[in-house]
Amino acid sequence: MIKCPSCGKRHPENTLFCDDCGAYLLAEGRKRTDPLAVEDVDWMETEFGATGALESQDAVPMTIRLSILDTGRQIEFTLDREISIGRLDPATATFPDIDLTNDEALEKGVSRRHAKITRKGTELYLEDLGSVNGTLLNGKRLTPYLPHALSDRDEIRVGRLLMRIHMI
Amino acid sequence: MRLNQHQDYYEVLGISAQATEQEVKAAYRTLVRRFHPDTNTDPDAKEIFQRTQEAYEVLRDPEQRKAYDRWRERHGLSNPSPLVLQCTPSHRQLPARDEEQMLYLLLEITPNNKVPTKRLPFNLCLVIDRSTSMQGVRLQRVKDATNFIIDFLDESDIFALVTFNDRAEIVIPAQSQVDKAFAKSRISTIRSTGGTEILQGMLAGLNELDRWRSPDLVNHLILLTDGQTYGGEKECLDEADRALGRQISITTMGIGQDWNDKLLDEIAHRSGGTSTYIDSASKVTSVFRECIHSLATIVARGAQISMQTPTGVRIQEAFQVSPQLKWLPVRHGAISLGRIDAEQPCSLILEVLIGPQVIGQTHVAHIELDADIPSVSHRQAPIKHSVQIEIAPNLIDVEPAPPSIVSALGKLAIFKMQEKTMDDLERGNIEQASQRLETMATRLLNIGENELAKAALLEAGRLARTGHLSPEGRKKIRYGTRSLSMLPKEIRHD
Repeated sequence: MIKCPSCGKRHPENTLFCDDCGAYLLAEGRKRTDPLAVEDVDWMETEFGATGALESQDAVPMTIRLSILDTGRQIEFTLDREISIGRLDPATATFPDIDLTNDEALEKGVSRRHAKITRKGTELYLEDLGSVNGTLLNGKRLTPYLPHALSDRDEIRVGRLLMRIHMI
Repeated sequence: MRLNQHQDYYEVLGISAQATEQEVKAAYRTLVRRFHPDTNTDPDAKEIFQRTQEAYEVLRDPEQRKAYDRWRERHGLSNPSPLVLQCTPSHRQLPARDEEQMLYLLLEITPNNKVPTKRLPFNLCLVIDRSTSMQGVRLQRVKDATNFIIDFLDESDIFALVTFNDRAEIVIPAQSQVDKAFAKSRISTIRSTGGTEILQGMLAGLNELDRWRSPDLVNHLILLTDGQTYGGEKECLDEADRALGRQISITTMGIGQDWNDKLLDEIAHRSGGTSTYIDSASKVTSVFRECIHSLATIVARGAQISMQTPTGVRIQEAFQVSPQLKWLPVRHGAISLGRIDAEQPCSLILEVLIGPQVIGQTHVAHIELDADIPSVSHRQAPIKHSVQIEIAPNLIDVEPAPPSIVSALGKLAIFKMQEKTMDDLERGNIEQASQRLETMATRLLNIGENELAKAALLEAGRLARTGHLSPEGRKKIRYGTRSLSMLPKEIRHD
């Protein structure tokens, strides 16, 4: 959903005019993620889970800590369900589990729905959700919508925001 | 090249013969995916699959396609339709979303210039108000305009003239081979007196039309009035309904400020005609001319658009954006458009809501245009169009919509505001109506409609002070916004 900037009425994505107040919804500044300058980054191999598989099979990590490298913020969360990473936007009803708004997410090109972390059996996976500026794992760009296995101390980059993952 | 005698390859792929290479490819992909024998267990699937492949093999190759087109023409499969249907989506690519998103479709129906059409003879009746209020310049201008119609008539046209005040008078009974000099002398004798009873005029006029009524004629009534009718409103609407059933359409024209716009709109709408506002007597002739030209260039009648959408895709609303802006009711997936003329091509906007879709090429709608083409003896096959878009997972930025769509939507947005303003007023929500008019004035200024913007601003002020619109302002705004589509102007964004 998008919200009309002049009267607040809600419309489906890609609506061009507000039919309540006639505002052109693209011209009057939607708070959208701007694409960052194009960078030359290698794409991650696309085989499912080919790299970085979790080495220790004995324990299933239940808790994970993400440290945001730029701001030093640490976030801990339990992996009893899917964890979404993005930027809070009540206007479009986006409420990510890990909200990076206070880490300058908008400026650093983080999408509202950017990526997610899921657990399958003993392994953890990171998946880019078709974000504007992409997700990088250890410097390699992830193919959108293709989950990639995560290891302890992996470096995750969403837009220009750097994070490191710690499995506890 | 192997040609199946009974198979039109374009029909197999569900596309028009004018389809682009991309459209051919997209249609093929969709069909093949749907009917692949590995996934589709339907007994017919295999045959459809094979036919699809056969059709694609030929149409994908420009050389083979050209040869096929020639073969098709020789075998009369390519009977060119007198109508052309163009279908433009606001976006060819949309991002993958887990919620509904909007896609606009612009449908343009234009006459095919390559197919000659002949003018259908008229069975026309002019019904003119001659109440006291019409006296002076107003009646004189109406007489001039009527003389213009007389001069336009051919020998095969049938014409009748009815005037009315409290009762109706048949000035010229329905006849072909109208004696023009005599008709004009009859017109000059019309005097204004008495009240206004629209029903009397309508009844007499429809009666005249009934005498010659035939499907081979343009059966049409033009009703012009300047006042409120004394009673009989419901009966007028019943007559309009009956006219539709007898294939008689009605154009209503209101002159001056005192007529009932809602009644005239409804009469025209129910009979499948249009209503017009004539703000000054000097414009009567040009309004008559426009109406006559549109009747003289009718290409199709009873036109209907039907739409099919797959699960997860739905048509939210449909609007006509040309010749006039109006909301179109969708009944059982179909929209009735009535007559199409060459003078003012018809275009529509469909608001399509796309639910979450699988990534890749997606079929979003199947559009069919069916119409009765009077210049062709047999009924033409419907024109079909299949609309496909691509759902792209990593779409960086949605490509901007084509300017033709943005401009049409801009006017549509203003039209919707106008409708909402009138709704606000009916509910007694004066303050909101006034605010809406003010915002509307800003939007009108943005698209360069300064006159209309001024009228909206004036009325917004009047509304805030007095709680009412002036009858003149109300008509200016209602009919002005409806006609926005007629004046193509570059859209500006603030």
